Amino acid sequence: MRSAIYLLSFFLVSSSWAQSNSLRTPNISANALFLYRSSEKGKEDISTVRNGMDLREAEVAFDSDVDPYHRLSLLLSVHPEYTYNAGTDRIEQVWKIEPEELFAESLQVPDVTLKIGKFKAAFGKHNPLHTHAFPFVDAPLINTAAMGDEGLNDVGVSAALLLPTPWYSEVTGQFIRGEGENAEFSSKTPSDGVGLVHWKNLFDLNDDSTSELGASYVKGKNDLGGQTILTGADATYKWRPAEGGRYHSVILSGEYINRSLEQPGTAAEKVNGYYTFAQFQFAERWSAASRFDYLKIQDSDSGFNSHSLTNDTISRSTVGLNFSGSEFSAYKFEYSWGPEKKIYLQANFTIGYHPSHSY
Amino acid sequence: MKHILFLLMAFIPGFSSATLKVVTTTPDLEALVRSVGQDKVEVSSIAKGTQDVHQIEAKPSFMIRLRNADLVVSQGLELETAWLNPLTVGARNPKILVGTAGFLELGPGLDPIEIPKGNISRSQGDVHPGGNPHFQLDPIRMGQAAMIVAEKLSELDPGDKTFYLQQAKLFQNHLQEKTKLWEARIKKTGLKEIITYHKTFGYFLDRFGVTGVMELEPKPGIPPTAGHLLEVISVIKKRNIKLVLIENYYDNSAGEKLKQEIPGLVVLRVPVSIGGEPDVKSTEELMEKIVAAFESVKK
Repeated sequence: MRSAIYLLSFFLVSSSWAQSNSLRTPNISANALFLYRSSEKGKEDISTVRNGMDLREAEVAFDSDVDPYHRLSLLLSVHPEYTYNAGTDRIEQVWKIEPEELFAESLQVPDVTLKIGKFKAAFGKHNPLHTHAFPFVDAPLINTAAMGDEGLNDVGVSAALLLPTPWYSEVTGQFIRGEGENAEFSSKTPSDGVGLVHWKNLFDLNDDSTSELGASYVKGKNDLGGQTILTGADATYKWRPAEGGRYHSVILSGEYINRSLEQPGTAAEKVNGYYTFAQFQFAERWSAASRFDYLKIQDSDSGFNSHSLTNDTISRSTVGLNFSGSEFSAYKFEYSWGPEKKIYLQANFTIGYHPSHSY
Repeated sequence: MKHILFLLMAFIPGFSSATLKVVTTTPDLEALVRSVGQDKVEVSSIAKGTQDVHQIEAKPSFMIRLRNADLVVSQGLELETAWLNPLTVGARNPKILVGTAGFLELGPGLDPIEIPKGNISRSQGDVHPGGNPHFQLDPIRMGQAAMIVAEKLSELDPGDKTFYLQQAKLFQNHLQEKTKLWEARIKKTGLKEIITYHKTFGYFLDRFGVTGVMELEPKPGIPPTAGHLLEVISVIKKRNIKLVLIENYYDNSAGEKLKQEIPGLVVLRVPVSIGGEPDVKSTEELMEKIVAAFESVKK
């Protein structure tokens, strides 16, 4: 841990005297998320977010061309993890530093991006996002239930093909290891992998608006001897007028996910749900947003395996207000109710290399 | 069957025609490349003249335009970095990646102004370490840019080198001639100092010997604050400034406040890019609009 911090300090210090386009150092940026949480259930909750102030996550990203053929990206995540210590009857905090993503991508292959390494799987709209880019403080309920707190993210290979259509249409095929960080796919046979197909389509409706439609399918063996199958569909509409787009914009988005955890001799555990959200930018630096989350867990056999969920139907509503001081800082104020009433205040800061504007 | 074949041909890269496919970041460069390449190039711009180029979104649909491009022409100096890099990489077209022959950044080759000195930090706002990237409002630099574009087109299509260089020279000569007239007209207005919203007018003011005393933005990229506007008002009164120009993709609320406080002050929202207003279709027409804004101030 200490050596990792020295390594980080070295990169950050060395970047301060080097230009971003220098051959000696890669592009470097760092992001920090500070969170204040007040929840009616917060005191007994052992999770990544607790009541009170917290450093939610720091991300340090490095990327650079390796040579004319490859580009390498590394994103380290530093975050606290909380565990209950029965001996002291206290919740203890442990700092973790881990590679959230570390992958090499092809630069010279026409029409296809090949990728190898550890990466966030191309499942739907929410899963590929980094924490600081989440539209709301919490991940959607269905994403956390179906793919865990960290989402579907592991070591594997990926090929993303741009189809020769007049609109943007991309088919991504990925194969990630089974015995990895995702409990729902942790087959006991290391060579068992997880296959993923994602199809993303984006249409320009006019100069001001776009619509995006996506479909995802994932299949892999679990440690119960059966298959886990994830299916997803997402739709997004974005409006930002070519005239006045600095001050007003709208995003409407929704995603449906279904997970079936099969096991021999009994009914498959079914998890399905969706979220829909709307975001309206009403001034240059201000936007308001609201989200509705729905999650249903059926045929769960609690206790038969370590990661089964509890049969339940949960819905959650969230309203939020966002302020961006600049491209490099943003604040979120959110209130949500459903399983619990809670308030979030999140501050988001980025330094270093100019971050990309993803769409 | 024939129709299907034609349809297929349209989708296959490099099959449809022999013209060079060029994508520019701004409409000003689009018009410039068209002037130089004429019917030997097929050119389109990512940004529209009504948009602030700093803030373009990296729409995946732009990648579709870039995937068959032979050349990308950008203003550079970090004006488009945030959205252009993800687009060129996402287009999966090795010909147009940064550093290759199919990627042309014009700004650094045009003797940039306002290069920050000493240590710079983001506490100074959205600073451009390589200098001011808004050279589209300098007709002389646009002429020089045309020559650079002609060289690049010649490199990609050597057979038409003479044609490209000839067209660029015509474009450059025309703008040089016009610049003399614009210079005389601005001199006649007697305006020596103006105020602008952002530093977009840096090259224009430099070319025509006018000083941009300050900006309505307290720092580049930071919207005007009440405190800063009070300072602007006091400077306008003290120095008897008569004209404030606001790039027309910014709203007019700060301008309205200034007009309320200082009767007689001319505050105009003007296009700073081709297409910024429907009737602005060339660099010449764009310059005419801004020169006319100077002339609208009564002596």
